[in-house]
Amino acid sequence: MIQITINGNSYSAESGETVLSIARREGVDIPAFCYDEALAPYGACRMCLVAVTNGAKEGITTACTLKAVDGLAVVTDTPEIIRLRKVLLELYLAQAPKSETIKALAAKYGIKKTRFTRKVYSDDPLKGRCILCGLCVRVCRDIMGAGAISYIGRGQFTEINTPFYEENEVCMGCGACAQVCPTQAITYEDVEKTRVMTSWSKTRVLLKQCTGCGRYYAPEAFISYTNKKLNPAVDETLRYLCPDCRRKEMTRKAIFLSMEEPVTG
Amino acid sequence: MGCIGYCREEPLVNIHLPEKPLVVLHRVTEKDAEGIIQTVAAGEIPRERALCRIDNWDPLAGEILHFGNGFEDIPAYAEIPYFAPQKKVVLRNAGLINPEDIDEYIAVGGYRALYRAITEMSPDEVVGEVTASGLRGRGGAGFPTGLKWGFTQKEKSPRKYIICNADEGDPGAYMNRNEMESDPHMILEGMLIGAYAIGAREGIIYVRAEYPLAIQRLAKAIRQAQTYGLLGENILGTDFSFTLTIAEGAGAFVCGEETALIASIEGETGRPRPRPPFPAQKGLWGMPTNINNVETWSNIPVIINRGGDWFSKIGGERNSGTKVFSLVGDVDRVGLVEVPLSTPIRTVVYDIGNGGIEGKAIKAVQTGGPSGGCIPASLFDTPMDYEHLTAVGSIMGSGGVVVMNDETSMVDTARFFIGFTNEESCGKCVPCREGLKHMLMILDKTLAGKATESDMQTLEELSNVIKMTSLCGLGQTAPNPVLSTLRYFRNEYDLLLKKAQ
Repeated sequence: MIQITINGNSYSAESGETVLSIARREGVDIPAFCYDEALAPYGACRMCLVAVTNGAKEGITTACTLKAVDGLAVVTDTPEIIRLRKVLLELYLAQAPKSETIKALAAKYGIKKTRFTRKVYSDDPLKGRCILCGLCVRVCRDIMGAGAISYIGRGQFTEINTPFYEENEVCMGCGACAQVCPTQAITYEDVEKTRVMTSWSKTRVLLKQCTGCGRYYAPEAFISYTNKKLNPAVDETLRYLCPDCRRKEMTRKAIFLSMEEPVTG
Repeated sequence: MGCIGYCREEPLVNIHLPEKPLVVLHRVTEKDAEGIIQTVAAGEIPRERALCRIDNWDPLAGEILHFGNGFEDIPAYAEIPYFAPQKKVVLRNAGLINPEDIDEYIAVGGYRALYRAITEMSPDEVVGEVTASGLRGRGGAGFPTGLKWGFTQKEKSPRKYIICNADEGDPGAYMNRNEMESDPHMILEGMLIGAYAIGAREGIIYVRAEYPLAIQRLAKAIRQAQTYGLLGENILGTDFSFTLTIAEGAGAFVCGEETALIASIEGETGRPRPRPPFPAQKGLWGMPTNINNVETWSNIPVIINRGGDWFSKIGGERNSGTKVFSLVGDVDRVGLVEVPLSTPIRTVVYDIGNGGIEGKAIKAVQTGGPSGGCIPASLFDTPMDYEHLTAVGSIMGSGGVVVMNDETSMVDTARFFIGFTNEESCGKCVPCREGLKHMLMILDKTLAGKATESDMQTLEELSNVIKMTSLCGLGQTAPNPVLSTLRYFRNEYDLLLKKAQ
């Protein structure tokens, strides 16, 4: 274990852990949009700036990419960092004018409006909320192994969607993208037997029917993917049950089994 | 053929009659061809087209080439003002040998340094020689090459890669292009020596697809070197083996940034990733990788042939060697100029470049490509090297020098470069992607006469934030054209501002 200092307080950490990961664990507030502990550091949102006051390279850097070494000391909110973050938030306000997440964080920094021209969206599948943090792209590719969505174009014209804006059959409809999205930009809806990934070129994914109650409860492709991944496999009697029915079935089995057990003592 | 770099005088034709100096003809047209052939067939030189004669030439590999004597009425190479202050180290063979013939390269001492390195020197000695030379990365950042090689050399890994960064993309800059087109074997030899020193068996030349001739000549050079046993298994009968392939870029400027370049070779979108880990630890396919610019590799054979000590005596303090600059814009003598580092801007623009076209006064030079800054004529005594150019708000970059005369609008110039970097931003991090877009909008507003003093404050503040917070070198330097013009030519912005009511 090593010791690092954040804002004058000392914390124990594993060598090589990132400062942002330590801060999150210890409840130190450092804003970040493109970070998720399940994914590799990405360094795109530039919000998690910290000032290194004792370390190999002093100065401002991103906490998500800063590896902890013994004796490292950082400060998370120097006047300069606050000044930089404020301008970045103004840029975010202009880019994603419909995002409540951005507005809330900006308000926390005392920013009500941006000096920059707000982007005008028409028919945006991400509702004017996307800040291109890339969490959805990475979770889809790196965690789910699907890679259904990616970046289109570059620079200010970058967008995230399926290739050629067409329905993409590699999408399993798992919804991990919507789950990780920091600005709640990604939407999908279940219509009878189908899940429609509204944000991703209206990609349609078939839903699986629960063998218990008959409800369409989860995407077929996602169920078979997770069933393949799990080792040991899910008990056959539970495999295609919706969460409610599965709970009931497990409870029933537990009671049934306990009744079967011989009474000892 | 290759090119000696005097672009204004092109097309050039070299004539070498037995026992006579090499004569360079200039401004040759199609109509001249027949006359030239007849004159030369008669053992004479078409004097009216003669630019200069070269009696002797030093390809820096051991022996001096002696072409011959005579033709004293034709000016000598060293008497031509464009050439006189230059020192050819990188362009030692450019325009003098046939780049498509490995025998010509070998004839001027080519591959001698490789032979020496792999038969007489240990990898550590090679790295030591490069370190002693003081050579710094010619891609622009100026990191000491020997130190960089040492990082990858020290890594324990079953596989290592070396890469030649030939993704030259600065507007108006074409040094690397000429180096590849005029002397491809020099780059191969540099990479072979580097591979031996670092312990890499595989190398890749990442070259932009917009350079078809360079690609063609590199490919030909690789085939020839394979045939001669200079590439492949057990090179020159030693245990050293090395293969070299070419990867073509797909037109993104940011792929010159080394982590984006690696992503591009791997088939990913060309987007930079945070460092560390540096490519020396985790590069191509996750293996230790050493990346150097074309011009950096080009210097290696000379350093081995002549020694690091010899090399370190060229140029200025902590800025050893020469640098090829592409001198373009409103300058009289346009071309590729190779001078010792720390040569003053004045020497390049006035002595070599002969000042403005039609004698017009020069206002500024912009160095270092789209991320460089504009340096006013009052600072033309500034030595052209890594530290001095940075101190005046510009950068060395890969070596572009754009000369601007006094009719140039500096605001419009800044707008051009921001337009370029905005278009080439990969879009990964917010300051570069969004910030440059808004800088461009403010500059357009300024040029339309609609901006106010508060827009200028926003522009300056935004520039500094982009510099401070961007993920990669592109964003960290992109605001330089605006910051330097605000610093030196603020009056031009003020004149465009909307008058306060």
